[in-house]
Amino acid sequence: MGRTPTIEIDGLSKFFGNIIALKDVSFEVYRGEVTALLGDNGAGKSTLIKTLSGVHKPSEGEIRIDGKRVEFNSPRDAAAAGIGTVYQDLALQPLMSVSRNFFLGRELSRGPFLDFTAMDRITREEMAKIGIDVADPSQAIGTMSGGQRQTLAIARAIYFGAKVLILDEPTSALGQKQQLEVLRTIKQVRDRGDLAIIFITHNDLHAKLVGDRFAFLNRGRVLASGDRESIDLDNIRALMAGGAELAELEQEFETG
Amino acid sequence: MAEAKSTAADERIRNIGPIQRLMARPELGSVFGLILIIIAFVIMTSSAGTFQAMWVNPTGFQAWVELAAFVGILAIAAALLMISCEFDLSIGATIALAGHSFSILALLGVPLPLAILFTFIELAMLGAFIGYIVVRTGLPSFIVTLGFWFASRGFAVFMGQTIFNQSRLSVRPLIQAPAGGGEDPTWIDNVFAFKNAFGLPFDAYVYYFVIIAILTTLMLHKTRYGNWIFSSGGDPEAARAVGVPVARVKITLFMFSACMACLLGIVTVLGSGASDPQAGDFRELHAIAAAVIGGCALTGGYGSVVGAVFGAFIFAIASRGINFVPFIDNNLFRVMLGLLILGAALLNQALRNRVVRG
Repeated sequence: MGRTPTIEIDGLSKFFGNIIALKDVSFEVYRGEVTALLGDNGAGKSTLIKTLSGVHKPSEGEIRIDGKRVEFNSPRDAAAAGIGTVYQDLALQPLMSVSRNFFLGRELSRGPFLDFTAMDRITREEMAKIGIDVADPSQAIGTMSGGQRQTLAIARAIYFGAKVLILDEPTSALGQKQQLEVLRTIKQVRDRGDLAIIFITHNDLHAKLVGDRFAFLNRGRVLASGDRESIDLDNIRALMAGGAELAELEQEFETG
Repeated sequence: MAEAKSTAADERIRNIGPIQRLMARPELGSVFGLILIIIAFVIMTSSAGTFQAMWVNPTGFQAWVELAAFVGILAIAAALLMISCEFDLSIGATIALAGHSFSILALLGVPLPLAILFTFIELAMLGAFIGYIVVRTGLPSFIVTLGFWFASRGFAVFMGQTIFNQSRLSVRPLIQAPAGGGEDPTWIDNVFAFKNAFGLPFDAYVYYFVIIAILTTLMLHKTRYGNWIFSSGGDPEAARAVGVPVARVKITLFMFSACMACLLGIVTVLGSGASDPQAGDFRELHAIAAAVIGGCALTGGYGSVVGAVFGAFIFAIASRGINFVPFIDNNLFRVMLGLLILGAALLNQALRNRVVRG
């Protein structure tokens, strides 16, 4: 393929003292595509997210955005370079209105006063773009479901200039129905075609449903990566559980 | 387009009617409370003379309107701090510190306008210092300001005793027109602590109260700074994550709170002609009571200036009104106030839960 990846992670390692949190992690994400990053607890997913969003500096390796090497000294740098991270806790204020949350920290003003008309309008438009009709942007966020809050956090990241969207376990804290809402949102965002999405999850079914590319993290290393054709999707579950270990355990049960 | 299809009928967002929206306002409980307390006191003062005395005679309603204004100014500061999830127990003591600071400067010969200016600067710095300790150390503001509750009044009394060997500092000669002619300093009193403006029988507090209430309401609900106050109290981590300067917001609110106490301290001295070391005693608790009655949540992120204003009126009517009711022992006032605070807190909690759970 002749395309330049929107974001390319190349040989990334991160050490904390003598702990190897990430070792030689490489994968790429293209715009209009979802790269599902799978891994069990402790696989290094959160270290990877924090390194990509400027919280940690990589010990080795590099990150390239649109082919150009980038270095982040702070989350602000990463955001300016177009990395929008939607954390699990979402950074939302439950008692504040939808549009106040959308623009929090980046409010629109006319003279000394907030421009509610413009903020409500933009919030509604941006939410509609990814499939949620907010009838009343002045209602408190506490009245929204977990899935809708995810959508709001995603819409906010996109509106404020994200080229690469990192979604940290967006489905894990939700009920079944809301998980599907969020997956639908992810698909809508992918179909816009201008954003590269890194979808972090430990749910192989969700990954299968929306992923174009896959990368499996295990104990800080990428165990396997590739697109739908090159990777054996049925093998995902086995890889998730750590492949070889599971086979070993199976053996133990049979002989025991 | 796929977009149009999926947004056309989205069942996931509920519509909220105007009545429910009204129910979600923080000050709702205090509106009912104010109506109830007015009705209660109108009934209780219904005998011929007492109704006149409390509601019609200037000295009658002047008493509770002025008290509402005094407590209300502090309650507004307390409410803003509570919305940002902080607390200032020291404002009562700050009133005495401001009064004493101003009086000491004036008695030492500093011209009155400069003495006022210096006192405001001193108190703003005190507020900034308190705020800095709170955001820097992460100690609960309750503890930090409890320290200043003792320290501020203690320091005021110490200064008065050390320099003038008096605990009550009289500045009356300095703010009266000199008998033998010469420079007349009364203008400062008229500008700063004016009385009976616009033909109304009120102290200056009342006008300050109206102006401050309007400005802070606009600030809280219509400016980005107000947005930051709510988010600093609602979820400070989330606020920081999107770039809200939480520490700066809290420090400026402590400065505002100290400046409001300073205003009251100086106006009191100009009005009475002396600085009393007991000035403002217990006022911090009255202000917090008014803010709580007005719907502010101790957990932050929720409340309003309008609620604090209503809360101050409830406090003042109950407080002064009881003197006009012949058949209730005045000593029961605190019992009534205590029950009022508990009742208001319960009502407000119930209303607040509606906002989140619908």
